[in-house]
Amino acid sequence: MPQTGQPTPSRRAVLAATAAGSLALAGCRGIAALGPPPKPGPAVTTLRAAITAEERIIAQYEAALTVFSGREKATGPLKSILAEHHSHLARLRSVLVVPPGLPTSPSPSQSPSAPPAGRREALAGLITAERSAAARLTQQLLHMPSATAQLMASISASEAAHVIVLDTAGTA
Amino acid sequence: MSQGRAVKLAALQAALAAEEAAVYGYGVAGAHMSGGGYARAYADTVAHQRARDALVQMIIALGGQPRASAVAYQLPQAVRSAADARSLAASLELQVAAAYRGLVATPSADLRKLGAIAMQQAAVRATRWSGQTQAFPGLANPG
Repeated sequence: MPQTGQPTPSRRAVLAATAAGSLALAGCRGIAALGPPPKPGPAVTTLRAAITAEERIIAQYEAALTVFSGREKATGPLKSILAEHHSHLARLRSVLVVPPGLPTSPSPSQSPSAPPAGRREALAGLITAERSAAARLTQQLLHMPSATAQLMASISASEAAHVIVLDTAGTA
Repeated sequence: MSQGRAVKLAALQAALAAEEAAVYGYGVAGAHMSGGGYARAYADTVAHQRARDALVQMIIALGGQPRASAVAYQLPQAVRSAADARSLAASLELQVAAAYRGLVATPSADLRKLGAIAMQQAAVRATRWSGQTQAFPGLANPG
């Protein structure tokens, strides 16, 4: 199975992001084909928190890249990690199905991160962010639907591994 | 046997099989390494042996029979140099990460946590060997 691309419906945990549940989804045959919508609630809130966390970490990498501009040795690894975070965000968003008429995100305006004071501070901030993101996901996945929990575990593993690359970038 | 217990045992057995394969694979990889690489391969082997022993205990505690390890395992690649050995170690780790994914799908919070942390540790070790990271380690079977 290809690693990227659209997840197949069978592997994909679809969480309907509405308290109105079946009423709001009544006209949507695509969701109906997957069976009755799961109860909205804590899982949707948790997923939204994970999405917001990915948006924040992406903003933090973008801010960090500004202090590394022109230093290819550091920007290369940072950019490839940033690309992985964009993949995380896309996959997390694909799990959250928002019925028409509802806002796609509870926090539509993600304020940009303040630029770090220097390169050392930037790397330290990213390492802290990656570590706490991985730890948060480890807690969040405990009560999520299985497929979403597996996705979150994999993302947490990716984030834990990012720390190794950031550590190396700091000593290079 | 209750369905919940059967699910847990199946996930634990899958993780155990991957740990056994990793211990075997590291034995091959370590033989092609020296210095710091050998030291790290040794440390990682010990980590996998400890994880294997813990899984065996958990399977027994659940009333299961730990699946015996194979005499030899088909390695994902031939190993003729230290570079091959590092690459083998990285792919063994990604297979371990994939094997623990099943524990994260069980209804038990304890097993989910164990699975998630094992996936993180395997991804970290894979990155130490390869220098590379992945967006979704363990999610698509690398083998």
